[in-house]
Amino acid sequence: MIFEPIQIEISQLRCERDDRLLFKNLSIKLESGQILRVAGPNGAGKTTLLRTLAGLFDIQEGEIRFNQQPLKEYLERILYIGHKPQVTKDLTVLDNLKFLTDVDETALKSALSAVGLKGYHDSLVKELSQGQGRRCALARLWCVDAPIWILDEPYTALDVDMVKTLDARITEHVANGGICLFTTHQPPQQLGYQTLELGHVD
Amino acid sequence: MSIEKRMLARELKLIAARPGDIFKPMWFLILVISMVPLALAPDSDLLAEIGSAMIWVATLLALLLNTEHLFQSDFSDGVLEQWLFLDRPLAWLVGLKLVAHWLFHVLPLILITPIAGLMLSVPTEVLIALLITLFVATPALTCFSGLGAALTLGSSRSGILGVLVMMPLFVPVVILAAGVLIRATDGSDTLPLLALLGAFSVVAATLVPIAVSAAIRLNIGGSN
Repeated sequence: MIFEPIQIEISQLRCERDDRLLFKNLSIKLESGQILRVAGPNGAGKTTLLRTLAGLFDIQEGEIRFNQQPLKEYLERILYIGHKPQVTKDLTVLDNLKFLTDVDETALKSALSAVGLKGYHDSLVKELSQGQGRRCALARLWCVDAPIWILDEPYTALDVDMVKTLDARITEHVANGGICLFTTHQPPQQLGYQTLELGHVD
Repeated sequence: MSIEKRMLARELKLIAARPGDIFKPMWFLILVISMVPLALAPDSDLLAEIGSAMIWVATLLALLLNTEHLFQSDFSDGVLEQWLFLDRPLAWLVGLKLVAHWLFHVLPLILITPIAGLMLSVPTEVLIALLITLFVATPALTCFSGLGAALTLGSSRSGILGVLVMMPLFVPVVILAAGVLIRATDGSDTLPLLALLGAFSVVAATLVPIAVSAAIRLNIGGSN
């Protein structure tokens, strides 16, 4: 599906955690079709920035606007996948997705095939490897129609093939008018993106 | 499928995956009750007199035991933060979770109390009053201990802390329930006290989900 145009405007964002200034005067504009990689050393505030954008952290200072509207109006159009597992270990792969998404089973199954979990539908997540668990969490990228993707360390524990698959999916998503923000320490090879470097504040 | 149905379906599947979550508190209840006659003098009059109160307290403790980690695993897996993106208010989802918890975890506890009553030779009319008070009071108790669980999500060794924080809210419920049991033993009218207990549960069920959702937001906002 093709998404309607979206603009994310971050202006003068400032964030402090545990008395440490993570970033200040942060202003970026993002539009449909753009990919932004948030980079920086550990503890630079990458996760904090993504979680603020996803509405999980309150904005301390500054403004975030989606199409000139406050963030609150846009939560349902955000797909956020954090660095925690995002899946319940005691449930099967399919049941995990069924709870978090409102799509029919055929769509879920094709999403699972896309991430290479075909044949694992009824396996409990705790029986899977870490990378497979991550694939299960990422399967939502193939079946949820949210224009704004916020992915915290999506490449962790993924093998080379899956990294390629994910890159292709992100490219397809932004080609359809979506926006993708992500963090990673290994710069993806196959992806055209802008980089926001954090961690230069004093 | 609506979120409501998905929530209940998930809860049932989790129970199927972790049956111990239901059975451990039930074992605990039966174990405590079977120890009482051994610890007391084998005097059946005394047992019948204090039996209902013993069962009530044991049920309360069993309930606390299975509610203290209500949100913990979803929180540490990061599934709880996904609730914020579902298109329902968080308080509504929390309410659903509490209802599901009461149905699948607390109700089985109430249903085995007659067995405990038989073990302590509690008179039938008191046993009936006991069952009614548990039905009326446990929604409030579930809500309060759920709130305790949500408030202490962020701290690693939260276990007993949530219970301690919520203790002042348990006290009036226990006092009212004890009043009902005493009146049932006397054969006097229990309805006014039961109505008060019911009011407690209604107020708790309406207000606590809002407080729990605030506590969850606070803990999600404070974690990395």
